[in-house]
Amino acid sequence: MKRSKSIGLVMMSASIFALTACDEPAVDAAVFQNLSQCLANGDVEREQCEADYQAAKSQHAQVAPKYTSQQDCEADFGAEQCETSSQHQTQSGGSIFMPLMMGYMMGSMLGGRSGVASQPLYRSKDDAKSYRTADNKKVGNQIGRTQVAKSTGARPIAKTSTLARGGFGARARSFGSVAG
Amino acid sequence: MQRIPVAEREDWKETAVEHGFDFHSIDGDPYWDESAYYRFTLRQIEDDLEDPVEEIENFCFAVVERAVADEEVLRRLAIPETYWDYIAGSWNRQEKNFYGRMDFSYGGTSPAKLLEYNADTPTALYESSIFQWVWLEQALERNIVPEGCDQFNSLHERIVETLANFGIPGPLHLACAAGSEEDRGTVAYLEDCARQGGLETVLMEIEAIGIDPAGRFTDPDDRVIDTLFKLYPWEWLLAEEFAAHIPKSGTVFMEPAWKSILSNKGLLPLLWEMFEGHPNLLPAYFEDDPRASALGDTFVRKPIYSREGQNIDLVRQGATETLHPGDYGQEGHIVQAFHPLPEFDGNYPMAGCWVVASRAAGMCIREDKILVTGDDARFIPHVILD
Repeated sequence: MKRSKSIGLVMMSASIFALTACDEPAVDAAVFQNLSQCLANGDVEREQCEADYQAAKSQHAQVAPKYTSQQDCEADFGAEQCETSSQHQTQSGGSIFMPLMMGYMMGSMLGGRSGVASQPLYRSKDDAKSYRTADNKKVGNQIGRTQVAKSTGARPIAKTSTLARGGFGARARSFGSVAG
Repeated sequence: MQRIPVAEREDWKETAVEHGFDFHSIDGDPYWDESAYYRFTLRQIEDDLEDPVEEIENFCFAVVERAVADEEVLRRLAIPETYWDYIAGSWNRQEKNFYGRMDFSYGGTSPAKLLEYNADTPTALYESSIFQWVWLEQALERNIVPEGCDQFNSLHERIVETLANFGIPGPLHLACAAGSEEDRGTVAYLEDCARQGGLETVLMEIEAIGIDPAGRFTDPDDRVIDTLFKLYPWEWLLAEEFAAHIPKSGTVFMEPAWKSILSNKGLLPLLWEMFEGHPNLLPAYFEDDPRASALGDTFVRKPIYSREGQNIDLVRQGATETLHPGDYGQEGHIVQAFHPLPEFDGNYPMAGCWVVASRAAGMCIREDKILVTGDDARFIPHVILD
Protein backbone atom coordinates (compact mmCIF):
# COMPACT_ATOMS: atom_id res chain seq x y z
CA MET A 1 0.00 0.00 0.00
CA LYS A 2 1.36 3.40 -1.00
CA ARG A 3 -0.83 5.38 1.37
CA SER A 4 -1.00 5.99 5.11
CA LYS A 5 -2.83 3.22 6.96
CA SER A 6 -4.73 5.77 8.96
CA ILE A 7 -4.85 9.46 9.47
CA GLY A 8 -5.96 11.28 12.57
CA LEU A 9 -6.14 14.87 13.62
CA VAL A 10 -6.05 15.77 17.27
CA MET A 11 -6.60 19.51 17.05
CA MET A 12 -7.87 20.50 13.62
CA SER A 13 -11.00 18.37 13.61
CA ALA A 14 -14.19 20.31 14.26
CA SER A 15 -15.54 17.34 16.19
CA ILE A 16 -13.11 17.87 19.04
CA PHE A 17 -13.91 21.09 20.84
CA ALA A 18 -11.14 22.87 22.63
CA LEU A 19 -11.46 22.91 26.39
CA THR A 20 -12.23 26.35 27.68
CA ALA A 21 -11.31 27.68 31.08
CA CYS A 22 -14.84 27.27 32.46
CA ASP A 23 -15.15 23.57 31.72
CA GLU A 24 -11.58 22.75 32.61
CA PRO A 25 -11.27 20.38 35.56
CA ALA A 26 -10.21 21.92 38.88
CA VAL A 27 -7.34 20.31 40.76
CA ASP A 28 -6.21 20.50 44.40
CA ALA A 29 -3.39 22.84 45.30
CA ALA A 30 -2.00 24.63 48.32
CA VAL A 31 -0.79 28.22 48.42
CA PHE A 32 1.54 29.76 50.99
CA GLN A 33 3.18 33.12 51.36
CA ASN A 34 6.41 31.59 52.63
CA LEU A 35 7.92 28.48 54.18
CA SER A 36 6.94 29.26 57.79
CA GLN A 37 3.31 29.68 56.81
CA CYS A 38 3.40 26.23 55.22
CA LEU A 39 5.10 24.70 58.27
CA ALA A 40 2.39 26.15 60.53
CA ASN A 41 -0.29 24.55 58.38
CA GLY A 42 -1.44 21.07 59.33
CA ASP A 43 -2.28 19.99 55.81
CA VAL A 44 1.25 19.56 54.60
CA GLU A 45 4.15 17.59 55.98
CA ARG A 46 7.25 19.50 56.98
CA GLU A 47 9.51 17.82 54.42
CA GLN A 48 7.05 18.52 51.64
CA CYS A 49 6.81 22.20 52.64
CA GLU A 50 10.56 22.54 52.43
CA ALA A 51 11.02 20.56 49.22
CA ASP A 52 8.33 22.47 47.33
CA TYR A 53 9.47 25.82 48.65
CA GLN A 54 13.00 25.12 47.44
CA ALA A 55 11.66 23.96 44.08
CA ALA A 56 9.64 27.17 43.67
CA LYS A 57 12.50 29.38 44.80
CA SER A 58 14.97 27.78 42.43
CA GLN A 59 12.61 28.30 39.49
CA HIS A 60 11.91 31.92 40.32
CA ALA A 61 14.75 33.50 38.29
CA GLN A 62 13.98 31.31 35.27
CA VAL A 63 10.25 31.73 35.08
CA ALA A 64 9.55 35.25 36.43
CA PRO A 65 8.63 37.91 33.84
CA LYS A 66 11.75 39.88 32.84
CA TYR A 67 12.34 43.57 32.23
CA THR A 68 15.31 45.61 31.10
CA SER A 69 14.35 48.57 33.31
CA GLN A 70 13.31 48.76 36.94
CA GLN A 71 10.70 51.33 35.97
CA ASP A 72 8.93 48.94 33.56
CA CYS A 73 8.97 46.17 36.16
CA GLU A 74 7.59 48.44 38.89
CA ALA A 75 4.89 49.67 36.52
CA ASP A 76 3.54 46.10 36.49
CA PHE A 77 4.38 44.97 40.02
CA GLY A 78 4.53 48.15 42.16
CA ALA A 79 7.21 50.27 43.84
CA GLU A 80 10.03 48.29 45.44
CA GLN A 81 8.46 45.01 44.33
CA CYS A 82 11.24 44.17 41.85
CA GLU A 83 14.76 42.80 42.07
CA THR A 84 17.59 42.16 39.65
CA SER A 85 18.24 38.67 38.37
CA SER A 86 21.65 37.27 39.23
CA GLN A 87 21.28 34.84 36.32
CA HIS A 88 20.58 37.27 33.47
CA GLN A 89 22.06 40.39 31.98
CA THR A 90 21.81 42.38 28.78
CA GLN A 91 24.41 42.02 26.02
CA SER A 92 26.05 45.23 27.23
CA GLY A 93 26.15 43.95 30.82
CA GLY A 94 23.09 45.82 32.11
CA SER A 95 20.71 44.44 34.73
CA ILE A 96 17.58 42.43 34.10
CA PHE A 97 14.68 43.10 36.50
CA MET A 98 11.95 40.75 37.70
CA PRO A 99 9.21 40.85 40.36
CA LEU A 100 9.87 39.51 43.87
CA MET A 101 8.56 36.05 44.62
CA MET A 102 5.51 36.63 46.85
CA GLY A 103 4.48 33.08 47.59
CA TYR A 104 4.41 29.56 46.25
CA MET A 105 1.99 26.94 45.10
CA MET A 106 2.29 23.21 45.56
CA GLY A 107 0.33 20.15 44.52
CA SER A 108 1.71 17.58 46.96
CA MET A 109 -0.32 17.74 50.14
CA LEU A 110 -1.45 15.07 52.56
CA GLY A 111 -3.49 12.64 50.51
CA GLY A 112 -1.45 12.52 47.37
CA ARG A 113 -0.27 14.54 44.40
CA SER A 114 -2.67 16.51 42.25
CA GLY A 115 -0.60 17.23 39.14
CA VAL A 116 0.04 20.84 40.13
CA ALA A 117 3.69 21.78 39.61
CA SER A 118 5.34 23.50 42.57
CA GLN A 119 6.06 27.04 41.49
CA PRO A 120 6.62 30.61 42.65
CA LEU A 121 3.73 33.07 42.80
CA TYR A 122 3.60 36.83 42.22
CA ARG A 123 1.27 39.77 42.80
CA SER A 124 0.67 42.40 40.16
CA LYS A 125 0.20 46.08 41.00
CA ASP A 126 -3.32 46.31 39.55
CA ASP A 127 -4.61 43.22 41.41
CA ALA A 128 -2.40 43.16 44.50
CA LYS A 129 -4.72 40.89 46.54
CA SER A 130 -4.43 37.92 44.19
CA TYR A 131 -1.59 35.55 43.65
CA ARG A 132 -0.64 34.88 40.04
CA THR A 133 1.64 32.33 38.45
CA ALA A 134 4.72 33.35 36.49
CA ASP A 135 2.59 32.82 33.38
CA ASN A 136 0.10 35.39 34.71
CA LYS A 137 -2.63 32.91 35.54
CA LYS A 138 -4.75 33.98 38.48
CA VAL A 139 -4.59 31.66 41.48
CA GLY A 140 -6.66 33.78 43.93
CA ASN A 141 -6.02 34.89 47.49
CA GLN A 142 -6.86 31.73 49.43
CA ILE A 143 -4.01 30.61 51.70
CA GLY A 144 -3.63 26.89 52.41
CA ARG A 145 -5.68 24.31 50.54
CA THR A 146 -7.45 25.58 47.46
CA GLN A 147 -8.43 24.52 43.96
CA VAL A 148 -7.11 25.84 40.67
CA ALA A 149 -7.83 25.14 37.00
CA LYS A 150 -5.61 22.34 35.71
CA SER A 151 -3.79 24.66 33.27
CA THR A 152 -3.05 27.15 36.07
CA GLY A 153 -1.10 24.44 37.87
CA ALA A 154 1.04 23.63 34.82
CA ARG A 155 4.80 24.02 35.03
CA PRO A 156 5.58 27.68 34.25
CA ILE A 157 7.67 28.43 31.20
CA ALA A 158 11.19 29.87 31.39
CA LYS A 159 11.17 33.51 30.39
CA THR A 160 13.56 36.03 29.06
CA SER A 161 12.84 39.69 28.29
CA THR A 162 11.93 40.75 24.79
CA LEU A 163 13.56 43.97 23.68
CA ALA A 164 11.78 44.32 20.34
CA ARG A 165 9.36 42.49 18.09
CA GLY A 166 8.31 42.80 14.48
CA GLY A 167 11.71 42.34 12.89
CA PHE A 168 10.34 39.63 10.60
CA GLY A 169 7.32 39.75 8.34
CA ALA A 170 7.90 42.84 6.20
CA ARG A 171 8.09 40.92 2.94
CA ALA A 172 4.90 39.00 3.63
CA ARG A 173 3.13 42.34 3.79
CA SER A 174 4.30 43.24 0.29
CA PHE A 175 4.20 39.80 -1.36
CA GLY A 176 1.34 37.96 0.40
CA SER A 177 1.27 34.19 0.82
CA VAL A 178 4.46 32.17 0.67
CA ALA A 179 2.64 29.43 -1.22
CA GLY A 180 5.20 27.73 -3.35
CA MET B 1 -2.11 8.05 -16.63
CA GLN B 2 -5.69 9.04 -17.34
CA ARG B 3 -7.99 11.88 -16.32
CA ILE B 4 -11.34 10.47 -15.30
CA PRO B 5 -14.37 12.74 -14.77
CA VAL B 6 -16.37 11.56 -11.79
CA ALA B 7 -19.23 12.51 -9.44
CA GLU B 8 -18.35 14.79 -6.54
CA ARG B 9 -19.26 13.66 -3.07
CA GLU B 10 -22.43 15.63 -2.33
CA ASP B 11 -21.26 16.40 1.20
CA TRP B 12 -17.61 17.21 0.50
CA LYS B 13 -17.87 20.79 1.77
CA GLU B 14 -19.26 19.58 5.13
CA THR B 15 -16.52 16.95 5.22
CA ALA B 16 -13.98 19.70 4.61
CA VAL B 17 -15.34 21.71 7.57
CA GLU B 18 -15.23 18.59 9.80
CA HIS B 19 -11.58 18.12 8.94
CA GLY B 20 -10.56 21.73 9.41
CA PHE B 21 -10.02 22.33 5.68
CA ASP B 22 -11.01 26.01 5.59
CA PHE B 23 -9.34 27.06 2.37
CA HIS B 24 -11.01 24.69 -0.09
CA SER B 25 -12.11 27.71 -2.13
CA ILE B 26 -9.95 30.75 -2.78
CA ASP B 27 -11.62 34.09 -3.54
CA GLY B 28 -14.85 32.19 -4.22
CA ASP B 29 -13.30 29.87 -6.81
CA PRO B 30 -12.97 26.19 -5.97
CA TYR B 31 -9.42 25.16 -5.17
CA TRP B 32 -10.26 21.58 -4.21
CA ASP B 33 -11.78 19.97 -7.33
CA GLU B 34 -13.03 16.39 -7.22
CA SER B 35 -15.04 16.52 -10.45
CA ALA B 36 -12.24 14.38 -11.89
CA TYR B 37 -9.30 12.34 -10.69
CA TYR B 38 -6.05 11.15 -12.23
CA ARG B 39 -5.31 7.46 -12.43
CA PHE B 40 -1.74 6.13 -12.46
CA THR B 41 -0.28 2.66 -12.64
CA LEU B 42 1.96 1.51 -9.79
CA ARG B 43 4.88 1.33 -12.20
CA GLN B 44 4.34 4.96 -13.21
CA ILE B 45 4.38 6.04 -9.56
CA GLU B 46 7.34 3.92 -8.45
CA ASP B 47 9.60 4.05 -11.52
CA ASP B 48 8.70 7.38 -13.07
CA LEU B 49 8.22 9.54 -9.97
CA GLU B 50 9.29 7.98 -6.67
CA ASP B 51 12.74 6.79 -7.82
CA PRO B 52 13.61 10.01 -9.70
CA VAL B 53 12.56 12.11 -6.67
CA GLU B 54 15.02 10.33 -4.41
CA GLU B 55 17.74 10.40 -7.05
CA ILE B 56 17.27 14.15 -7.60
CA GLU B 57 17.30 14.70 -3.83
CA ASN B 58 20.78 13.17 -3.81
CA PHE B 59 21.81 15.38 -6.74
CA CYS B 60 20.60 18.35 -4.68
CA PHE B 61 22.90 17.37 -1.83
CA ALA B 62 25.78 17.36 -4.30
CA VAL B 63 24.80 20.89 -5.35
CA VAL B 64 24.74 22.06 -1.71
CA GLU B 65 28.09 20.38 -1.07
CA ARG B 66 29.54 22.29 -4.01
CA ALA B 67 27.86 25.61 -3.18
CA VAL B 68 29.06 25.79 0.42
CA ALA B 69 32.63 25.32 -0.79
CA ASP B 70 32.43 27.76 -3.71
CA GLU B 71 31.62 31.42 -3.11
CA GLU B 72 31.06 31.97 -6.82
CA VAL B 73 28.07 29.60 -6.68
CA LEU B 74 26.57 31.41 -3.69
CA ARG B 75 27.02 34.69 -5.54
CA ARG B 76 25.24 33.33 -8.61
CA LEU B 77 22.36 32.26 -6.38
CA ALA B 78 22.06 35.86 -5.13
CA ILE B 79 22.47 34.75 -1.51
CA PRO B 80 23.63 37.71 0.63
CA GLU B 81 27.36 37.42 1.36
CA THR B 82 26.85 38.24 5.06
CA TYR B 83 25.21 34.83 5.54
CA TRP B 84 27.49 32.58 3.51
CA ASP B 85 29.28 31.31 6.62
CA TYR B 86 26.05 30.73 8.48
CA ILE B 87 24.54 28.78 5.58
CA ALA B 88 27.69 26.70 5.13
CA GLY B 89 27.68 26.10 8.89
CA SER B 90 24.10 24.83 8.81
CA TRP B 91 25.20 22.22 6.25
CA ASN B 92 28.45 21.32 7.99
CA ARG B 93 26.63 20.93 11.32
CA GLN B 94 24.28 18.54 9.47
CA GLU B 95 21.15 20.44 10.46
CA LYS B 96 18.30 18.19 9.40
CA ASN B 97 15.93 18.95 6.55
CA PHE B 98 12.26 18.21 6.96
CA TYR B 99 10.23 18.49 3.76
CA GLY B 100 9.91 19.81 0.24
CA ARG B 101 7.96 19.40 -2.97
CA MET B 102 9.40 18.74 -6.42
CA ASP B 103 7.19 19.81 -9.28
CA PHE B 104 7.30 17.76 -12.45
CA SER B 105 5.86 17.84 -15.91
CA TYR B 106 4.65 14.26 -16.33
CA GLY B 107 2.02 12.78 -18.62
CA GLY B 108 2.60 9.05 -18.15
CA THR B 109 4.39 8.32 -21.42
CA SER B 110 7.86 9.87 -21.13
CA PRO B 111 10.21 10.65 -18.22
CA ALA B 112 9.01 13.18 -15.67
CA LYS B 113 10.89 16.47 -16.03
CA LEU B 114 11.75 18.52 -12.95
CA LEU B 115 10.33 22.03 -13.35
CA GLU B 116 11.38 23.27 -9.92
CA TYR B 117 11.95 22.31 -6.31
CA ASN B 118 10.00 24.03 -3.56
CA ALA B 119 12.51 23.01 -0.93
CA ASP B 120 11.81 25.66 1.68
CA THR B 121 8.14 26.65 2.07
CA PRO B 122 5.91 24.31 0.06
CA THR B 123 2.19 24.48 0.78
CA ALA B 124 -0.70 22.24 -0.39
CA LEU B 125 0.53 19.82 2.27
CA TYR B 126 -2.64 19.33 4.30
CA GLU B 127 -4.86 18.74 1.29
CA SER B 128 -2.32 16.26 -0.11
CA SER B 129 -1.92 14.38 3.15
CA ILE B 130 -5.39 14.44 4.68
CA PHE B 131 -8.18 15.61 2.42
CA GLN B 132 -7.01 13.66 -0.61
CA TRP B 133 -6.73 10.56 1.60
CA VAL B 134 -10.24 11.06 3.00
CA TRP B 135 -11.55 11.51 -0.55
CA LEU B 136 -10.14 8.12 -1.58
CA GLU B 137 -11.56 6.32 1.46
CA GLN B 138 -15.02 7.76 0.83
CA ALA B 139 -14.78 7.37 -2.95
CA LEU B 140 -14.04 3.66 -2.41
CA GLU B 141 -16.93 3.27 0.05
CA ARG B 142 -19.35 4.98 -2.32
CA ASN B 143 -18.13 3.22 -5.47
CA ILE B 144 -17.03 6.50 -7.02
CA VAL B 145 -13.69 4.87 -7.89
CA PRO B 146 -13.04 1.20 -8.73
CA GLU B 147 -12.27 -1.30 -5.98
CA GLY B 148 -8.59 -1.74 -5.21
CA CYS B 149 -7.52 1.86 -5.77
CA ASP B 150 -4.52 3.03 -3.77
CA GLN B 151 -2.82 6.43 -3.56
CA PHE B 152 0.77 7.70 -3.54
CA ASN B 153 0.36 9.26 -0.12
CA SER B 154 2.13 8.14 3.04
CA LEU B 155 2.58 11.79 4.00
CA HIS B 156 0.73 11.75 7.28
CA GLU B 157 2.58 8.76 8.69
CA ARG B 158 5.92 10.03 7.46
CA ILE B 159 5.42 13.55 8.86
CA VAL B 160 4.35 12.37 12.32
CA GLU B 161 7.22 9.90 12.45
CA THR B 162 9.80 12.43 11.20
CA LEU B 163 8.75 15.12 13.67
CA ALA B 164 8.74 12.63 16.54
CA ASN B 165 12.31 11.55 15.71
CA PHE B 166 13.72 14.95 14.81
CA GLY B 167 15.40 15.35 18.18
CA ILE B 168 13.53 18.51 19.17
CA PRO B 169 14.41 19.19 22.81
CA GLY B 170 11.72 21.55 24.11
CA PRO B 171 8.62 22.95 22.50
CA LEU B 172 8.48 23.22 18.71
CA HIS B 173 7.51 26.73 17.66
CA LEU B 174 5.69 26.98 14.33
CA ALA B 175 5.33 30.35 12.64
CA CYS B 176 3.81 31.76 9.49
CA ALA B 177 2.98 35.26 8.31
CA ALA B 178 -0.26 36.83 9.53
CA GLY B 179 -3.12 37.07 7.10
CA SER B 180 -2.82 34.03 4.84
CA GLU B 181 -5.43 31.39 5.54
CA GLU B 182 -3.58 28.87 3.40
CA ASP B 183 -0.27 29.34 5.23
CA ARG B 184 -2.09 29.18 8.55
CA GLY B 185 -3.69 25.90 7.47
CA THR B 186 -0.29 24.41 6.68
CA VAL B 187 1.29 25.26 10.04
CA ALA B 188 -1.85 24.24 11.93
CA TYR B 189 -1.64 20.83 10.26
CA LEU B 190 2.04 20.46 11.09
CA GLU B 191 1.31 21.48 14.68
CA ASP B 192 -1.30 18.73 14.81
CA CYS B 193 1.25 16.21 13.49
CA ALA B 194 3.87 17.39 16.00
CA ARG B 195 1.44 16.87 18.89
CA GLN B 196 0.71 13.38 17.60
CA GLY B 197 4.46 12.84 17.61
CA GLY B 198 4.52 13.73 21.30
CA LEU B 199 5.93 17.25 21.01
CA GLU B 200 4.86 20.33 22.87
CA THR B 201 4.04 23.08 20.36
CA VAL B 202 3.54 26.83 20.12
CA LEU B 203 1.82 28.28 17.05
CA MET B 204 2.60 31.92 16.35
CA GLU B 205 2.92 34.61 13.71
CA ILE B 206 6.30 35.39 12.24
CA GLU B 207 5.66 39.09 13.00
CA ALA B 208 5.42 38.27 16.74
CA ILE B 209 8.98 36.95 16.98
CA GLY B 210 10.99 39.03 19.44
CA ILE B 211 14.63 39.37 20.37
CA ASP B 212 16.00 39.19 23.93
CA PRO B 213 19.05 40.85 25.53
CA ALA B 214 21.23 37.82 24.75
CA GLY B 215 20.26 37.94 21.06
CA ARG B 216 17.92 34.96 21.22
CA PHE B 217 14.53 34.87 19.52
CA THR B 218 11.44 34.90 21.74
CA ASP B 219 7.77 34.01 21.42
CA PRO B 220 4.79 36.12 22.62
CA ASP B 221 5.21 34.67 26.16
CA ASP B 222 8.89 35.74 26.28
CA ARG B 223 9.96 32.15 25.97
CA VAL B 224 13.17 31.48 24.07
CA ILE B 225 12.58 29.83 20.69
CA ASP B 226 14.89 26.82 20.48
CA THR B 227 13.39 25.15 17.42
CA LEU B 228 11.41 27.07 14.82
CA PHE B 229 9.44 25.66 11.93
CA LYS B 230 9.02 28.77 9.78
CA LEU B 231 6.69 28.79 6.82
CA TYR B 232 8.54 31.84 5.61
CA PRO B 233 11.16 31.85 2.85
CA TRP B 234 14.82 32.06 3.77
CA GLU B 235 15.42 34.80 1.22
CA TRP B 236 12.84 36.93 3.03
CA LEU B 237 14.17 36.14 6.53
CA LEU B 238 17.69 37.06 5.45
CA ALA B 239 16.57 40.41 4.03
CA GLU B 240 14.64 41.61 7.08
CA GLU B 241 15.47 43.63 10.18
CA PHE B 242 16.15 40.70 12.55
CA ALA B 243 18.27 38.78 10.01
CA ALA B 244 21.53 39.85 11.64
CA HIS B 245 20.50 38.04 14.84
CA ILE B 246 19.96 34.68 13.13
CA PRO B 247 23.52 33.27 13.18
CA LYS B 248 24.01 33.75 16.93
CA SER B 249 20.41 33.21 18.01
CA GLY B 250 20.92 29.54 18.88
CA THR B 251 17.57 28.79 17.19
CA VAL B 252 17.45 25.64 15.09
CA PHE B 253 15.45 26.40 11.95
CA MET B 254 13.26 24.00 10.01
CA GLU B 255 14.02 24.10 7.11
CA PRO B 256 17.73 24.66 7.81
CA ALA B 257 19.46 27.62 6.14
CA TRP B 258 21.19 25.40 3.57
CA LYS B 259 17.78 24.83 1.99
CA SER B 260 18.08 28.40 0.65
CA ILE B 261 20.51 26.94 -1.92
CA LEU B 262 17.80 24.56 -3.17
CA SER B 263 14.71 26.76 -2.94
CA ASN B 264 16.23 28.94 -5.58
CA LYS B 265 15.70 28.65 -9.32
CA GLY B 266 19.49 28.82 -9.63
CA LEU B 267 19.36 25.18 -8.53
CA LEU B 268 18.09 24.23 -12.01
CA PRO B 269 21.16 25.36 -14.02
CA LEU B 270 23.45 23.95 -11.32
CA LEU B 271 21.75 20.56 -11.56
CA TRP B 272 22.03 20.62 -15.35
CA GLU B 273 25.68 21.60 -15.23
CA MET B 274 26.52 18.77 -12.82
CA PHE B 275 24.18 16.07 -14.18
CA GLU B 276 23.72 17.13 -17.79
CA GLY B 277 21.61 14.78 -19.85
CA HIS B 278 19.83 13.12 -16.93
CA PRO B 279 16.38 12.04 -18.21
CA ASN B 280 14.49 13.83 -15.40
CA LEU B 281 16.28 17.16 -15.79
CA LEU B 282 15.66 19.91 -18.34
CA PRO B 283 18.49 21.95 -19.87
CA ALA B 284 18.79 25.16 -17.83
CA TYR B 285 21.26 28.04 -17.64
CA PHE B 286 21.78 31.27 -15.80
CA GLU B 287 20.44 33.91 -18.19
CA ASP B 288 23.81 35.61 -18.67
CA ASP B 289 25.59 32.32 -19.43
CA PRO B 290 26.64 32.21 -23.13
CA ARG B 291 25.62 28.53 -23.19
CA ALA B 292 22.00 29.68 -22.74
CA SER B 293 21.88 30.30 -26.49
CA ALA B 294 21.63 26.50 -26.87
CA LEU B 295 17.92 26.86 -25.99
CA GLY B 296 17.25 28.87 -29.19
CA ASP B 297 14.24 31.19 -29.29
CA THR B 298 11.85 29.04 -27.24
CA PHE B 299 12.37 28.68 -23.50
CA VAL B 300 10.99 29.57 -20.07
CA ARG B 301 12.53 32.46 -18.16
CA LYS B 302 12.24 32.31 -14.36
CA PRO B 303 13.33 34.79 -11.67
CA ILE B 304 15.92 33.35 -9.25
CA TYR B 305 13.32 33.95 -6.53
CA SER B 306 9.65 33.67 -7.33
CA ARG B 307 6.52 32.07 -5.94
CA GLU B 308 3.12 31.02 -7.21
CA GLY B 309 4.39 31.04 -10.79
CA GLN B 310 4.79 34.81 -10.72
CA ASN B 311 6.96 36.59 -13.28
CA ILE B 312 7.62 33.42 -15.24
CA ASP B 313 7.97 34.33 -18.92
CA LEU B 314 7.17 31.91 -21.67
CA VAL B 315 9.30 32.81 -24.70
CA ARG B 316 8.09 31.14 -27.94
CA GLN B 317 9.81 31.91 -31.25
CA GLY B 318 11.22 34.98 -29.54
CA ALA B 319 7.83 36.34 -28.38
CA THR B 320 7.46 36.79 -24.61
CA GLU B 321 4.31 36.03 -22.65
CA THR B 322 4.07 36.62 -18.85
CA LEU B 323 1.22 34.48 -17.57
CA HIS B 324 1.18 35.55 -13.91
CA PRO B 325 2.51 39.09 -13.38
CA GLY B 326 4.20 39.84 -10.07
CA ASP B 327 6.97 41.67 -8.27
CA TYR B 328 9.81 39.18 -8.49
CA GLY B 329 12.93 39.23 -10.63
CA GLN B 330 15.33 41.80 -9.14
CA GLU B 331 17.92 39.11 -8.34
CA GLY B 332 18.31 37.91 -11.92
CA HIS B 333 16.87 35.06 -13.97
CA ILE B 334 17.51 31.57 -15.21
CA VAL B 335 16.31 30.10 -18.49
CA GLN B 336 15.01 26.55 -18.83
CA ALA B 337 14.07 24.48 -21.87
CA PHE B 338 10.33 24.73 -22.59
CA HIS B 339 8.72 21.38 -21.78
CA PRO B 340 4.95 21.89 -21.94
CA LEU B 341 2.77 20.31 -19.28
CA PRO B 342 0.77 17.39 -20.66
CA GLU B 343 -2.77 18.22 -21.74
CA PHE B 344 -5.83 16.25 -20.60
CA ASP B 345 -9.14 17.58 -21.99
CA GLY B 346 -7.94 21.18 -21.97
CA ASN B 347 -6.32 20.90 -18.52
CA TYR B 348 -2.62 21.04 -17.72
CA PRO B 349 -1.72 19.01 -14.61
CA MET B 350 1.53 19.45 -12.73
CA ALA B 351 2.71 16.58 -10.53
CA GLY B 352 4.02 17.79 -7.17
CA CYS B 353 6.00 15.07 -5.43
CA TRP B 354 6.46 15.36 -1.69
CA VAL B 355 9.76 14.68 -0.03
CA VAL B 356 9.78 14.07 3.75
CA ALA B 357 13.19 13.61 5.40
CA SER B 358 14.60 13.13 1.88
CA ARG B 359 12.26 10.26 0.98
CA ALA B 360 9.44 10.39 -1.58
CA ALA B 361 6.22 10.41 0.44
CA GLY B 362 3.30 11.39 -1.75
CA MET B 363 1.89 13.42 -4.58
CA CYS B 364 -0.47 16.25 -5.36
CA ILE B 365 -1.79 17.09 -8.79
CA ARG B 366 -2.58 20.71 -9.44
CA GLU B 367 -4.31 21.61 -12.65
CA ASP B 368 -4.55 24.87 -14.52
CA LYS B 369 -6.13 25.93 -17.79
CA ILE B 370 -2.86 27.51 -18.86
CA LEU B 371 0.69 26.26 -19.21
CA VAL B 372 2.26 27.94 -16.17
CA THR B 373 0.69 26.70 -12.94
CA GLY B 374 -0.22 29.62 -10.69
CA ASP B 375 -1.81 30.01 -7.28
CA ASP B 376 -5.28 29.72 -8.83
CA ALA B 377 -4.60 26.13 -9.91
CA ARG B 378 -7.08 23.49 -8.72
CA PHE B 379 -6.12 20.48 -6.61
CA ILE B 380 -7.26 17.21 -8.27
CA PRO B 381 -7.04 13.92 -6.34
CA HIS B 382 -5.35 10.85 -7.78
CA VAL B 383 -5.44 7.07 -7.48
CA ILE B 384 -3.12 4.19 -8.26
CA LEU B 385 -4.79 1.27 -10.05
CA ASP B 386 -3.17 -1.30 -12.29
